[in-house]
This record gives sequence, structure tokens and C-alpha cells, in this order.
Amino acid sequence: MSCEVKTSQWRLVEVGRIVLINDGPSKGKTAVIVEIIDHKRVLIDSPDASVPRQSFPLAHVSLTSIVLKSLPRGARTGVVAKFWEKEGIAEKWEKSALAKRIASSEKRWALNDFDRFKVMVLKKQRRYEVKKALAKTAKASA
Amino acid sequence: MGRLHEYQVIGRKLPSEAEPTPKLYRMRLFANNTVVAKSRFWYFLKKLRKVKKSAGEIVSLNEIHEKHPTKVKNFGIWIRYDSRSGTHNMYKEYREMSRAEAVDALYQDMAARHRARFRSIHVLKVTEIEKTADIRRPYIKQLLTKNLKFPLPHRVPRTKKVFAARRPSTF
Amino acid sequence: MPAANKSTGKREVAKWYPSSQEDPEPKKVRKSIRPTKLRPSLKPGAVLIILAGRFRGKRVVYLKPLSGGVLLVTGPFKINGVPLRRVNARYVIATSTVVDLTDVNVDKFDDKYFAREKEAKKSKEEKLFKGDKVTKKPTPEVRKADQKEVDAALLKNIKNVRHLPDYIASSFSLSKGDRPHLMQF
Repeated sequence: MSCEVKTSQWRLVEVGRIVLINDGPSKGKTAVIVEIIDHKRVLIDSPDASVPRQSFPLAHVSLTSIVLKSLPRGARTGVVAKFWEKEGIAEKWEKSALAKRIASSEKRWALNDFDRFKVMVLKKQRRYEVKKALAKTAKASA
Repeated sequence: MGRLHEYQVIGRKLPSEAEPTPKLYRMRLFANNTVVAKSRFWYFLKKLRKVKKSAGEIVSLNEIHEKHPTKVKNFGIWIRYDSRSGTHNMYKEYREMSRAEAVDALYQDMAARHRARFRSIHVLKVTEIEKTADIRRPYIKQLLTKNLKFPLPHRVPRTKKVFAARRPSTF
Repeated sequence: MPAANKSTGKREVAKWYPSSQEDPEPKKVRKSIRPTKLRPSLKPGAVLIILAGRFRGKRVVYLKPLSGGVLLVTGPFKINGVPLRRVNARYVIATSTVVDLTDVNVDKFDDKYFAREKEAKKSKEEKLFKGDKVTKKPTPEVRKADQKEVDAALLKNIKNVRHLPDYIASSFSLSKGDRPHLMQF
């Protein structure tokens, strides 16, 4: 008997990794790792002026699934902006599951009382339809 | 960032009839602020030359700023420090963005590993190591491998509150 | 010493010495009476959530302010059973949902309209023996008519917005995990 053992797919801290900033004045913005300073800090940069080039602790960062593969180590802001544009990082980020989840949760928090009621009504309708379809298939299979 | 700054302090003995143009002494120092920098200047000068504050003056004092503060560099630092049992010389390496930050890291590191305080450490020399081959310490060497990458396997989310309803999930 | 006796015809003696000072002047009230300022979120037409009293949790329509931080609201009665009623602005959450109030005439409603009729004073004996019995008074016909009139105009506007009648009919409550301090209303 044989089995294949695979290592788990960790997201890596590496040059070119896009990160989401979780703390500080640039909270909620994305940046790219330009150089690794040590095991706890990296140098980040982004074309966005509100995220200046700075040393940043990895503790306050989330690694995203996006990597700027060809970014040279220690690239300066102009080069980063060029790569960012070329690879369409902004669009890629917008399409990523994490960005979507953040956007939807932000939207949910911003709902007012009436909106929450409407969501409740729509959920009820969906539940009804699902149950109806399920009952149908159950009946057919029985 | 970092709490230390690098200062250039120039001072001399007060001019007298016998010595109308006394010799100028220049020092590059790491200090929290200008007051501490001046104090450190006299502290070192007293040890090196026969000049003291009551008979001397500061000619100029200015901060030295990092030339490239957004470039990651490796620094070698030579220090002399008094432990509880004697005086030692040491060479250490740091990977930082500026000289001042490297020295700041040095003080933190010395406090952590040797319980050495600011007052028992003399920074002798700080140099940037430009060539990778010249790096001596393995803890810096390991950060210079090509295509360095590593995972963050044990992430502990830090909440700002005292109590949490759930234990953190670290994977 | 006992006071003078009537039967003996002696002079009445005051029980207490008079106080040496003159009667002090009553304190002057230096506070000026300012009109109540309601929260800016309280706009006429807003849907309110009532927090206390018999109609707590109900979503009602705010019609107009009355004097002293009191609000005139209506269910409307047809939708959720809340009549034209005065509520304190403090016991209410104002939501950002606003109902159109065109054609709704609320000019005749003021504090006097809602004033309770003075009951005829009962004798002590009556109070003692019949005080406990509460007789339910029927709603005056005038009130019923007014309610109908206001509701008719309001209902038309409410029905124009999808889900709004159902929203007003439902009542507000918190369930597990709800964080009211973080909610938007």
C-alpha cells in the first residue's frame, strides 16, 4: 500500500507577496513585500501614497494569495508601481475571496434597520425555495 | 522610527591667553536628544583628553540623518561594555534601515541578552557592511540567502481587550 | 405646661416661640426655560422603535413633536395596533427610514387633545370600597375617527414602498450575537 504525502500549502513571506495591512494608519490597504528585514519585519511599498515605503511588522499583516512573481528584491516605489500596474494587482485583489469577504462584511455592518429587515425577508424566501426543491427531489427518489 | 538619533557634536576648550585657538574635537554620537548628546560628548572627551565641561564649550551640534532611510542595510557594530564581572569588547551585526535604528536595536539586544544598560555600553564604531561575503554572524547570514521565503505557521491574533470570549485559533 | 384650655376660657398660648428672623425669601429660579431640542435623527416621518412601555419593540411612524420632548406617533393602528399616541423622545430609537408624510394632516393634535378627563371626585367611602374596580372605558368615537383619517393618508404612502408595511408590522428585538451599540439604525 502506498500513499502520497503532501506538504501543506502555506502562504509564504517572500519578495513580491501582496499583504493586507491590519493595523496602523494604513489599516485595510494592500502593499507588497519589497525586502525581508528579518523574521519579524519586512520592508513594504505600494503605489498608493497613503501606504509609504516603510519597515512593517509581520504581526500586523495578513498574507494574501497574490504574489508579484518577478518583482526584484529591494525595488523602489516607481518600479513597484510599474509592476503593480502590469500585473493588475488592484483588479486581482478586488476579485480575491478575502477582499470580497471584507467588502461584504463592511456592507453588512453599514445596513440600517430597514435593510436588515429586507435581508431577513429575502433569506426567508431563499430558504423556502431550497426546502421546496429538496422536498421535490426527496419525493422523486422515494 | 526608533528612539535614538545620530548627532555630530563639536566642542573645544575655552580660549585663553595662553591658547587663543584651542583644538576642536568632533564626535558622532547616538543619543535620545541633544541634551543627552552634549552630556555624552563631555563624558567621552573627559576620558580621552584633558578637557572638561566647566572649562569648555560646545561649538556646534547637528543631527546626522540617514542618507537612504528606506533601504535595508546590514550594520556591523563594535562595542565595549561593562558586565557585572568585567569589561568586554564585542562585535555584533544588525539588519536595519538606518545607523540610528541599528544602534537602537543594539541597546535593546544588549539589555535582553546581557542585562546591560545604556550607561554600561560604549558604541565604538558603526559601519555599513556592503558586501554579503563580509557578513560574519550566522544570524544575519541566514537572512541573505537567495530567494528567501518562509511561512508564518503560528499566528496569534492579538486582541486589544483584556478578555476574549474564545481561545485564539493559531492555524 | 399644657396649653390653655377652652373650657377654662384662658388665653391660648402658642406652642412655639416665633422665630427671630423674618420668613426667608423663596429662592429665585434662575434657570431659563428653553424649548426642548430633539436629536437631529428625529425627523417627522421617521420610523421609530419604541423601547419602553406597553408598545415596546414596535416600529411606529413619527408624526410631529409636541411640547417638552414628547413625540406624536402612530402605528399606524391598522398595521401594528399602535394608536395615535404620545411617547417620550428618550425612550425611542430613531431609524434612518423615513416615511412620506404628504397628505397627512396632524394639525389638530396637541397636548390638550390627549389630556385625560378629570374624574369626578369620589367620596372617601366610595374610594375605599369601589377603588379597586377598574372599568374599561370605551374609546371615544372622535379618537377612532381621527385615527382612521390619519391612517388612511399614511397607509397610502407606506404601501408605495416595497416591504415597508411588513417592516412596520414586525417588531424589533435583539437576538444572540446582536450588538446594538455597533448597529446602524
